[in-house]
Amino acid sequence: MVEEKKEYWRWTEGLYLNKDIDWRKAKSITLGVDIGSVSTQAVVLTDGKIYCFASIRTGSDSPDSARKAVESALKQTDLKQENIHYTVGTGYGRVNIPFANKTVTEIACHARGANYMGGPTIRTILDMGGQDCKAIQCDERGKVVQFLMNDKCAAGTGRGMEVIANLMAVPITDIGRLSFEIDKEPPPVSSTCVVFAKTEAIGLMREGWTKNQVLAAYCSAMAHRVVTLLQRVGVNKDFTITGGIAKNIGVTRRILNELKVDMVQLQPDPQIAGGVGASLFAADLLEKQRKAAG
Amino acid sequence: MVLKEKLVMDRFAEVVKNRHDYAREWKQRTGGRVMGYFCTYMPEEILIAAGMMPVRILGSHEPQDVTERHIYSMFCPFCRDCLAQGLKGRFEYLDGIGMAHTCLHIRQAYSSWVLHVPTKQNFSYYISMPAKPQSPRARPFLIKELEAFKKAVEEWIGRPVTNKDLDKGIEVMNTNRRLMRQIYELRKADKPLVTGTECMQMVCASQCMDKEEHNKLLAEFIKNELPKRTGRDAGTRLMIIGSEDDDTEFLAMAESLGATVVADDHCTGSRYFWNEAPKSEDRIAAIADRYIAKVPCPEKDWEERRRWTHISKLVDEYKVQGALMIQQKFCDPHEFDIPPLMKMLKEKKNVPSLFLEFDVTVPVGQFRTRVEAFLETMQLEM
Repeated sequence: MVEEKKEYWRWTEGLYLNKDIDWRKAKSITLGVDIGSVSTQAVVLTDGKIYCFASIRTGSDSPDSARKAVESALKQTDLKQENIHYTVGTGYGRVNIPFANKTVTEIACHARGANYMGGPTIRTILDMGGQDCKAIQCDERGKVVQFLMNDKCAAGTGRGMEVIANLMAVPITDIGRLSFEIDKEPPPVSSTCVVFAKTEAIGLMREGWTKNQVLAAYCSAMAHRVVTLLQRVGVNKDFTITGGIAKNIGVTRRILNELKVDMVQLQPDPQIAGGVGASLFAADLLEKQRKAAG
Repeated sequence: MVLKEKLVMDRFAEVVKNRHDYAREWKQRTGGRVMGYFCTYMPEEILIAAGMMPVRILGSHEPQDVTERHIYSMFCPFCRDCLAQGLKGRFEYLDGIGMAHTCLHIRQAYSSWVLHVPTKQNFSYYISMPAKPQSPRARPFLIKELEAFKKAVEEWIGRPVTNKDLDKGIEVMNTNRRLMRQIYELRKADKPLVTGTECMQMVCASQCMDKEEHNKLLAEFIKNELPKRTGRDAGTRLMIIGSEDDDTEFLAMAESLGATVVADDHCTGSRYFWNEAPKSEDRIAAIADRYIAKVPCPEKDWEERRRWTHISKLVDEYKVQGALMIQQKFCDPHEFDIPPLMKMLKEKKNVPSLFLEFDVTVPVGQFRTRVEAFLETMQLEM
């Protein structure tokens, strides 16, 4: 019997177009490309407003992922890449974007993007990326004041969550909801290590835990891990979460419960914060360039 | 090694890269002994006085699997990397090995070395450098320790180490310190004539080559090469502070991001050469004074934090705008110092800092992002 190979980790790729905007009337058309280890976003702003974006899975080749994300975003419109005035690359693959005019780190871009989408009251941002987490403090302009990054390990990150989705054979988008369908919150698993996850999950199932309890224990362990990071940098209101895991209520709610704070939910998509920030920096740089040219 | 036609800075880089070939050639050329040592409290003056070439044991930044049986993996990566070099036979030319006590981690590397890595002449020596040089009792204690060390060296080489020899040892070391200070002065300029990477390379070269030759090269550099240099835009002026750090690759990466490392507090930097041995009739006392008064490793900086005074001074004089706090993983003395030191720099000097934990190898991509983001907090206009 051939078992169907399901990709439980597969998250929903995103596409967006604001049809109310006529890009031809825009004075500034800028592109931000955020190549993360797991996902890539391309965000186009026209005169500082989100015009379109695409969020796709990162492939093995950064330039190729960048091109694909831009293609997907632009496919929705007749705007062509040559109409774009300035491009900023960010994320782990930022140095490998052939068409970027400049690069800015994802730390600065996530803060800027969160400030744009969540408003100037945002002071603390947790970016839960594919392979690392960053706790960032920013000022009212979205400028980074200080930040902390987790160390060298994918535990408590998007990639870790993908591994657990596959391991437990639960679609990744269902994990958050299912992790609350339990009678009583179980203690967190002792190790969020992606490598040891399997051993521990099997052990817990053998002890009679339900699938949802195991999911709850993982979400809770991941939440606890990033809470420690956040506490080291300090959590000032308003607080928000960016990155793919921002969409997983199993983790986010547990973070909020532990910290006893609320979070600002970023619209239209918390995963594009880096791309939005990059595109905003692109707009600044374009203006500077135009001023310099007279 | 054909080095003559090259620029001095390239020669330093080459000596560091091929330090073992250099030492073997030196032995062949001079017939002298080479003594390996751990940490920078070893009184090299006495070794030079005895006609030897002291070389510091440094790591190679390669992953290794030979030290697990000898040192716990929660000991610092530097001490394990050092021991690995011995176990792999890379220092097979050493005639002796020694250390003046700094921390337990490096002492473990030294002890394992003595047990498992044979030296040509089977000489090993452990100087009990006081853990609290600030104590008034440290100086007389160290003098006695150094006298005993000198005696052991004399027995080993089979001749007395005279006052004239000691004068030479002190003079060679002090000249080196003076020349290095002269070069560090250049980093104060708005357009520094030397980079942090070059300075680290120079100090590392000094720790693994003949000091007199190093002095000659430094003098040549100052006389012939400096006048031809134009300096570079400093960008953000950084200081590096912390544990042993000879990772020039990391430093070059940091300096490629619109910043220049203009000052340091490392034992592969200013802590190694900052102060000279004073003039005194009692040469051993003068050497002891030098190591008592040296800018301390945090392992020896208690209760008053004298290193912090040194750091503050450097911050002012070199117009430092940001600090990279480099910590070898599990290096407790630095780990103990770093949080209040970061606070002090922020509150008293308005200097923000970025904490980085080093291992034998560092994740360059991640570290680049951190350093770049840290620089952006100072550079990005919004």
